[in-house]
Amino acid sequence: MNAKASPAEIFSRFLPLTSLLLIIIVWQFAATGGYFGKSLPSPVAVVNQFVDMLAEPVGKTILGGHIWASMRRVLTAFAVAVLIGIPMGLLMGWNKKAEAIIKPIFEIFRPIPPIAWIPLAILWFGIEETPKVFICFIGAFIPAVMNAYTGIRFTDPLLLDAARSQGANLRQLFKEVAVPSALPAIFAGLQNGLSLCWMCVLAAEMVGAEEGVGYLILRGMDMSNPAMIITGMLIIGAVGALIAVGLRYVERWVCPWKREISM
Amino acid sequence: MTNNGRKIKIQVQNLTKRFGDLLVLNNISFNVYEGEFLCIVGPTGCGKTTFLNVLTKLHPATEGDIYIDGEPANPQKHNISFVFQEPSTMPWLTVEQNIRYGLEVKKVPEEEIKKRLNQVMELVGLKDFRNYYPRQLSASMDQRVVIARAFAINPDLLLMDEPYSQLDIKLRYYLEDEVIRIWREMKRTVIFVTHNIEEAVYLAERILILTPKPATIKKEIKVDLPRPRNFADPEFVNIRNQVTEMIKWW
Ligand SMILES: Nc1ncnc2c1ncn2[C@@H]1O[C@H](COP(=O)(O)OP(=O)(O)OP(=O)(O)O)[C@@H](O)[C@H]1O
Ligand SMILES: [Mg+2]
Repeated sequence: MNAKASPAEIFSRFLPLTSLLLIIIVWQFAATGGYFGKSLPSPVAVVNQFVDMLAEPVGKTILGGHIWASMRRVLTAFAVAVLIGIPMGLLMGWNKKAEAIIKPIFEIFRPIPPIAWIPLAILWFGIEETPKVFICFIGAFIPAVMNAYTGIRFTDPLLLDAARSQGANLRQLFKEVAVPSALPAIFAGLQNGLSLCWMCVLAAEMVGAEEGVGYLILRGMDMSNPAMIITGMLIIGAVGALIAVGLRYVERWVCPWKREISM
Repeated sequence: MTNNGRKIKIQVQNLTKRFGDLLVLNNISFNVYEGEFLCIVGPTGCGKTTFLNVLTKLHPATEGDIYIDGEPANPQKHNISFVFQEPSTMPWLTVEQNIRYGLEVKKVPEEEIKKRLNQVMELVGLKDFRNYYPRQLSASMDQRVVIARAFAINPDLLLMDEPYSQLDIKLRYYLEDEVIRIWREMKRTVIFVTHNIEEAVYLAERILILTPKPATIKKEIKVDLPRPRNFADPEFVNIRNQVTEMIKWW
């Protein structure tokens, strides 16, 4: 925007990069210095491991296959959670009777971490795909419902009055006032839900799976291959971040009024 | 019952409003006549906003009745515009969409909507901001959107709750003249709530002075001055002082 950035600005822009670089250098020295024996691979070893896994299968499939296996579970669970959870939360926020019926049930289940469902899920659904998807579903479902619910409940009454005074009927009040005003809260819930989903899939895969990023990490442990573990961890972080960024773009597109003040 | 041969537009009968134990409106009765410009002045917190909310059926009355054209008030049926005291634009709609909203709800034809949009945006000086979102506007511009939205509906009943208190003096004078112009041209009924005594005397045909909470009508003052009114006119000053005295009195 401005023609010339001052040296201070340039410096502060490169600050994050510098600190990252520093971490990698320290890591490299720590690894090659041998203070951790073989349990800490060097950054270079991790990169090599990563490149290897791109083409060479670990277990049933290559790295891309494992990522896709985890993603597939997350996306399936997330889609189902959104399709059921958001309408349910909207209903609960808008309709006092629905609130009275559904809310107490939620108050019981909400504080239970999704991972606590793993044993039951395995007993109920075996060890195939279903229990993993189920755990992820729980992870995304609760924030989807709760945020849609609170979003509707916190609709500014004045805005409802404003629309009502202009002649809006109940259906229009819901669709044209309550839902748009709840959208930012709903998106915050989706962000939360998706990152919870991603955590849940790893936990579920570490309990027992034949593919997936969680499986990779566990396999790395079994094979005493810390480079594989660290690669898995970095992949988890990177995919999680990408998912969050993707959802933020969707939010900006759906809620353009939330964009920072510009023009 | 008529007033200078005018029909009754709004009939308020023994209106009482309580919030729990808090009595806000205490057995108020009065009429507003067709095409009248009525100002309501009263101390802060006396129940002016509550009165308008009850009048438009946004809140239920505890006791008493309100009739518009002889029927119970109904925003879906009566063509009412309400300029709220607090910011009330929809944050997710642009300036233009905010103004369109009521017109679309009322199923005004698209061509007519376009015409009125241009008219009112010109009127309040928002033409260049039609694609802005409310949070990109200043408080006074935001209130102009609400005013534009109210005028665009072409209401037979225009309710304004301290609409100009956020605006600077120049814009306020301008919009005071505008609301008078619109009122005379379109022959609408206007109820205008204000704190500003001078504003009330400048605008009103009749002023209702309310008591502190619980509100009842303390006094009714007719303002029979030619328009445009002159703040320095001795008659004007006289009425203004009269109203001020009434307000000092409690
Ligand atoms: N929804 C509500 N629930 C409970 N009390 C309310 C509610 N709305 C208003 N009140 C109370 O009713 C009284 C009158 O409020 P109202 O807003 O009508 O006053 P007002 O005359 O418009 O005041 P102002 O000049 O500040 O706009 C106040 O004491 C307020 O606290
Ligand atoms: Mg008020």
